[in-house]
Amino acid sequence: MIRVDRSIVLQVVNFVALVFLLFRFLFKPVVKALDRRSQLIKGELQKIAEEKETLEKMKQSLLEEKKNLKEEYVRTIDQARLEAAKIKEEIVREAFEEGEKIRKEYEKRAKKEVEKLFSTMKEEMVNVAEEVIKKFLQSQITPEIQTQIIANMFEEAMKQLEAVMEVGHGQRND
Amino acid sequence: MDRETIRVVSPLPLTEEQRDIIREKLSRVVKTGLFSIEEEVDPSLIGGIVVFFRDMIIDCSVKTQLQRMKEAILRD
Repeated sequence: MIRVDRSIVLQVVNFVALVFLLFRFLFKPVVKALDRRSQLIKGELQKIAEEKETLEKMKQSLLEEKKNLKEEYVRTIDQARLEAAKIKEEIVREAFEEGEKIRKEYEKRAKKEVEKLFSTMKEEMVNVAEEVIKKFLQSQITPEIQTQIIANMFEEAMKQLEAVMEVGHGQRND
Repeated sequence: MDRETIRVVSPLPLTEEQRDIIREKLSRVVKTGLFSIEEEVDPSLIGGIVVFFRDMIIDCSVKTQLQRMKEAILRD
């Protein structure tokens, strides 16, 4: 048979009191602390997840920007190539036009020079011919020929003079 | 009536025949017939004559004919 003495009762009371005190002053604060700690960790994890998301977005944005920049770079290079081709074409065209202008100018000058040369040659040839003809005629004109020249040329001149004088006389009479 | 003096320039001295021809032709324009010829020799004329009549110069010289031909050739 179990003997219930006073010490056992005291031990039970003591134990119950201890449990109560432990529950009251140790278990609850520990649970609360653990809850707070858990909440804190949850918050941190949430923050990390949010930051990760933000970083992911930033990464996507940067990737997009990189892609755009690459496209822009390609477009700019293409545009620059086109512009360079246009400028080259323009320079070549201008150079060709300038060349044509210079060529035409030189052709014009050359033509003028040739014309001038021909004119000078013609004049010189005519002068030489004139001198030769003069010398030839001087050696060939005899008094008889001179008489013939006077008779013919002076007759012609006199006819013209008579006509002029008649016109003048007629006008005076009118 | 004053006698007109008409100057005639020729490359050679005028012969009597030439003088007669000139006189005969000039008398057609000098109605009075009162004129004298003043002769001058200029060998550069080559042939023909140049007559200075009143205020006119009647140029019938070979030199002038050649000059006209030359000008015509150079003009073309």
